[in-house]
Amino acid sequence: MARGKAKARSIYKSSAKEKSRGGKATPTQTIMGSERVPESVLTRVSDKLGIPVSQVSHMVETIGRVAQEAGDTDRIVEKYRGDKAALIQILLEIQRENRWLPRDVLMSVSKNLGVPIGRAYRIATFYKAFSLTPQGRHQVSVCMGTACHVRGAPRLLDRVASTLSINPGETSPDQKFTLHTVNCLGCCALGPVIVVDGDYHGNPTPKEVERIINRCD
Amino acid sequence: MKKVRLNIDGKDVEAKEGMTLLEAARDAGIHIPTLCYHEKLAPYGACRLCTVEISRNGETRLVTSCVYNVENGLVVRTDSPKVIKMRKMLLELMLASAPVLSELASQYGVEKPRFKAEVTQCILCGLCVRYCAEVKGANAITFVGRGVNRRVAFIDEVVSTGVCMDCRECFGLCPTGKIPRETDGASFEGITVQAVLARTPW
Amino acid sequence: MVRLKSAADLEKKRAQILSKRDPNKPCITVCSGTGCHALGSDKVHQAIVSELSRNGLKSKVDVRRTGCHGFCERGPIVVIFPAEICYLGVKPGDVPEVVSKTSADKELVDRLLYKDASGERIAHEGEIPFYKHQRRIVFGSNRLIDPKNIDDYIALGGYSALAKVLFEMSPEEVLETVKRANLRGRGGGGFPAGAKWETTRNAPGDIKYVVVNADEGDPGAFMDRSLLEGNPHSVLEGLIIGAYAIGSHEGFVYVRQEYPLAVSNLTLALSQVREYGLLGKNILGSGFDFDVGVHRGAGAFVSGESSALMTAIEGIVGEPRPKYIRTAVSGIWERPTNLNNVETWANVPLIINNGSDWFASIGTEGSKGTKIFSLVGKVNNTGLVEVPMGMTLREIIYTIGGGIRQGKKFKAVQTGGPSGGCLPESLIDLPVDFDELTKAGSMMGSGGMIVVDEDTCMADLARYFTTFLADESCGKCIPCRVGLEQMVTILDRICGGEGETGDIELLEELSEVVQDVSLCALGQTAPNPVLSTIRYFRDEYEAHIEQKRCPAGVCKALISYYIDPNKCSACGICLRECPVEAISGAKNLVHIIDQEKCTKCNTCFEVCPTRFSAVVKISGEPVPAALPLGTEVVRKKGKRE
Repeated sequence: MARGKAKARSIYKSSAKEKSRGGKATPTQTIMGSERVPESVLTRVSDKLGIPVSQVSHMVETIGRVAQEAGDTDRIVEKYRGDKAALIQILLEIQRENRWLPRDVLMSVSKNLGVPIGRAYRIATFYKAFSLTPQGRHQVSVCMGTACHVRGAPRLLDRVASTLSINPGETSPDQKFTLHTVNCLGCCALGPVIVVDGDYHGNPTPKEVERIINRCD
Repeated sequence: MKKVRLNIDGKDVEAKEGMTLLEAARDAGIHIPTLCYHEKLAPYGACRLCTVEISRNGETRLVTSCVYNVENGLVVRTDSPKVIKMRKMLLELMLASAPVLSELASQYGVEKPRFKAEVTQCILCGLCVRYCAEVKGANAITFVGRGVNRRVAFIDEVVSTGVCMDCRECFGLCPTGKIPRETDGASFEGITVQAVLARTPW
Repeated sequence: MVRLKSAADLEKKRAQILSKRDPNKPCITVCSGTGCHALGSDKVHQAIVSELSRNGLKSKVDVRRTGCHGFCERGPIVVIFPAEICYLGVKPGDVPEVVSKTSADKELVDRLLYKDASGERIAHEGEIPFYKHQRRIVFGSNRLIDPKNIDDYIALGGYSALAKVLFEMSPEEVLETVKRANLRGRGGGGFPAGAKWETTRNAPGDIKYVVVNADEGDPGAFMDRSLLEGNPHSVLEGLIIGAYAIGSHEGFVYVRQEYPLAVSNLTLALSQVREYGLLGKNILGSGFDFDVGVHRGAGAFVSGESSALMTAIEGIVGEPRPKYIRTAVSGIWERPTNLNNVETWANVPLIINNGSDWFASIGTEGSKGTKIFSLVGKVNNTGLVEVPMGMTLREIIYTIGGGIRQGKKFKAVQTGGPSGGCLPESLIDLPVDFDELTKAGSMMGSGGMIVVDEDTCMADLARYFTTFLADESCGKCIPCRVGLEQMVTILDRICGGEGETGDIELLEELSEVVQDVSLCALGQTAPNPVLSTIRYFRDEYEAHIEQKRCPAGVCKALISYYIDPNKCSACGICLRECPVEAISGAKNLVHIIDQEKCTKCNTCFEVCPTRFSAVVKISGEPVPAALPLGTEVVRKKGKRE
């Protein structure tokens, strides 16, 4: 996840009663990060407001995510001192930390910088580095550069795609993997090359491809 | 302002320094076809229809007249065989994705295109995008995507403020009539960024 | 780090650094470019550090991680100084022996040395044929410096050219020197750098910019990456000198984001250079101000085009502009901007230090100096090679490159990336020279040199490049956007077995409009791969179209896999490995491929043991009728039972 996260605010601190019940206090629950609000609280809010628990849970997650992203976005925009010319650089950093560019982030960055939102959309849809949908936890890239191509990259891509059961550009339904093609990583001597989460593998056999993929949790 | 003397289609033409070949030709009553040109907008150079042949010092080449500045002693041909050939090819390519341009195409002898493409009825001349940005300052419509996936799309967040409904000046600019057609009844829904993103390959 | 406030300070610093270094002290260097890194050089480095520590040798033997050596085929590369013993393909397991033999025994680890064709072992890096025939004036320093340590660069004489320029030369003199040297752009255009600098200098306006184009979008080319990763200071020094000559106080380095190591090494180099006062305000006390910003690309080949790149620096989507007004006059924010490639900038300090006459003495009449090529594809020695302009393709591919892999036959060499063309065997004695390559229908380009053999289909290769360019087209102008798409459609049909008579002519017709009417150089050069392959390999296209045959055995739709019953020995390997279970057979029974099920994945072809080579690719004719099931395999002494 992102470095330098804004400090999490707790909404629920363990009470003395809970502590006395058996030593282990219920940990301080937060609405930021990946920890969840306990069921009991969700149920109570649901009862109080008269809306389904699933809706409450969804709202809690969204608030957490948006607060996180807003914090990250503001921090990144500030790093570039609101320079309009840095729009592409800002979006690159957000993409790297967040793994995608949500619509509301595009809006807030445009507003922050004072550029038309169309410019942000144009950039986000023009360049391969950006994704407007959430990407998988593991990034798998197959190099399709010329040298890799003549050494059999299309076949490697077929094998990887069928092992992952997704096509290039797609993310697996469980959001575990996203498969990319890249136009030249610059390690042509290894070709054909597959990169998984920054680790390079040259000319893997079909069995090796399976092994590399299965190693990702 | 300095004067520049050049020759267009055998006619001696006097133009002001800083004018483009297209402007100089129009002033002299010589017709050069265009699709993405508009007097109020910065020249864009996307349709390439205004391509002409220039000669200087025995060397000949093709340039886009909407962005090429006049020069002393330039010899320009707006209808040489090469230029006509290129124009025909451009129209044939455009016709594949914008069949609605058949009338213009047949004026240049192009009937049925040999090519197949997705019919978008859009040639991406950018008049709508550029007009909204440069003249209206509203930036309500933009390009999304790249290459053959490039599309024009209205920005949902701007359209929802109602500003497009009140304006609609891009409707009259669109050379294929795509915009007025697809917003039929003033509903921009099918042609906004979110709608376009939902239906394009990436 | 203490700020250097004068040329004398720089020299004092240099002397100080050198005084602390003993040239006779053993130093183990580990190549740490992206290529060797991918092969595990990090682990090798760690192993060396631990081993030295374990044996109490930390103070007796230095370790240094260096920039890319270029011999990427044989990485990870370890070179021991001062003797310059070169070990190839080093693994962590080899380290204890390397360390002990280097420090104690002063012996060599034979098995890690380069072995030439006759079996001779070669110990010294410079003697290895791959390196011996190169002339590495630009790239050579990579192996001597740790890119993360500016002191290494200074120790080699770094920034002395800058000091000379700032205190002993006027901007005009610098300009004249670069013009006289006839340095032509190394990014692809080959435009005379000195002339471009002069135009920028003379253009009206006080604010001018200089730019390093490190977008290196050509697939298969990684020269700039290795230079920027391995010796960023050589590029920076050239840039500052250029800025001085042009009168610019602000520069940009545009690096593609697919090169994270180059970005980080560059960023570190910039901070070190600023600390020393070699960048920023009042450089070395000369009164000249200049600073540099780094701008990352976001994944678009077209943004490497100079006008598109400048637009991207402005924060707007990087699409090209019509180029009748040169960017040297009106570039970033309509101010005069001089853009040059990484390698072009890296040549500048050399020209200043050694003189324009020296530079002009290397190369040919029209192409001076050296060029770094990325020699990749079906050659034995894949890597980066730097040769004087004028060396022939034959010498590069055979003498340096070691010829074609696996003893196959040379078919063509593709130069200039997607904008270039394929040159056949008949042109292999062509000298590498800007104008010669262009005359032959290709171009120098940024330096990509891709060698292909008899197993490469030229129509498929043309399709690959055209598809790449169509995918990367910005889509603004009609000839490129629609024209390339239609060319891809036709090429797909040809390779898919659905080519029609007239397709070649249609490709040529489309090529004309794309070449002559496109807005930018992407479109204008895009038809080159197709045109050059039609020019030199027309028969292959015709075979695909008229006979539905792929001579190279590549295009899936036109090939069938068949097991020769006279060669099959029923070993069972292909049967087991086939991912769709399309092969039937058993012990002692000839194996048969079910053509209906076969997906042409090539696995059986790859796994069939070489001594049998029973799997063959058939194209342009029907697969022989299958033998009846249960046919026995040829047994002992080649007699069928």
